[in-house]
Amino acid sequence: MIYIIDDDREFAECIAKMILHATKGVEIRIFSNAIEAINAMDEGLPELVFLDVLLDGPDGFTFLNEMLSYEDTEKIPIVIMSSLNFRGKNLTNYGVVETLNKAEMTPEDIKRIVKKYASKN
Amino acid sequence: MESEVNGILVAAHELKAPLNLLRQLAFSLDFAEDEKDVKLIQNKMINVSDRALRQVQDLTKIARLEDGLFEMEPVAVRAVCDEVTEELRTLFRFNHRNLEIEYRNKTRLVSANRELLYSIVYNFCLNAMHYSDEETRSELTLSDKDGKVRLDVRDFGPALPMDVWRSLKKGWVEKPTSIAMRPGSSGLGLYIASKFSQYMNANVGAVRHRDGTSFFVELMPSKQLSLF
Repeated sequence: MIYIIDDDREFAECIAKMILHATKGVEIRIFSNAIEAINAMDEGLPELVFLDVLLDGPDGFTFLNEMLSYEDTEKIPIVIMSSLNFRGKNLTNYGVVETLNKAEMTPEDIKRIVKKYASKN
Repeated sequence: MESEVNGILVAAHELKAPLNLLRQLAFSLDFAEDEKDVKLIQNKMINVSDRALRQVQDLTKIARLEDGLFEMEPVAVRAVCDEVTEELRTLFRFNHRNLEIEYRNKTRLVSANRELLYSIVYNFCLNAMHYSDEETRSELTLSDKDGKVRLDVRDFGPALPMDVWRSLKKGWVEKPTSIAMRPGSSGLGLYIASKFSQYMNANVGAVRHRDGTSFFVELMPSKQLSLF
């Protein structure tokens, strides 16, 4: 299962389409805010999370801290997608495996990441 | 100068979102399953472009306000609201939100510029859609209040930050400002609405609710007799 957390639903659906193209049959859940995503963890843990930083309500970093605070979620790889510039910033301590700039990311980036971190599919 | 540059920066940030989305939609054309899917994506691209262009056009209108190019005239306010809601209804539905309208006003004509009023209502509604929680409604209400016609757009989302509310309480927003509790927004729509309201001698403001915000504009009734 892959989570996409982005308050821009249309953007999230584009990413979902690219993920499905990369790995058919994977379950994808889209959330517009961090709280919904955190609550959904009780129903099943994702193997990979695509996370926008600027969200309605608690932001992406609140989500990252929440993930780090539980034993069963701290190792889940998280990919940040943002218009903010994270180039050169090391966020591995937050469990972030990659950061994608929304203005530059391509379907190839999504495919590569999904293959690498959600390889069970 | 510094605040002007900051204003431009936050406005640019807000305008980046539709461009990023357009880029991804263009990519997703490659993954369309059939002709119907292609058409759907194309329609989305057109809608996103339209919204972004409208925002850019509004910004250019602000620059033209000083030239006094927008004439004040009697405007049928319900008709403007009908048009805006008709235009945005599909977008609301696509985002799993609903837009409800309630007209309680007896005064039908207001003194305004139709184009500017349309932009205000459009910006308020778009703002409400963006900041309402999923599966909730936004409410557009017209009512008579203290000799004016009041247009309220209520959302059910995060509360408006105190500083933005204070700024609106004064009657205007001086520049686009990052709205911390409403990320992704530079408050550009509010800034535009505020500028247009000022031009039309209308009051703009906001009411904080525990479960959201109402933005309102109070318009002067037109002295011309209504034929409705």
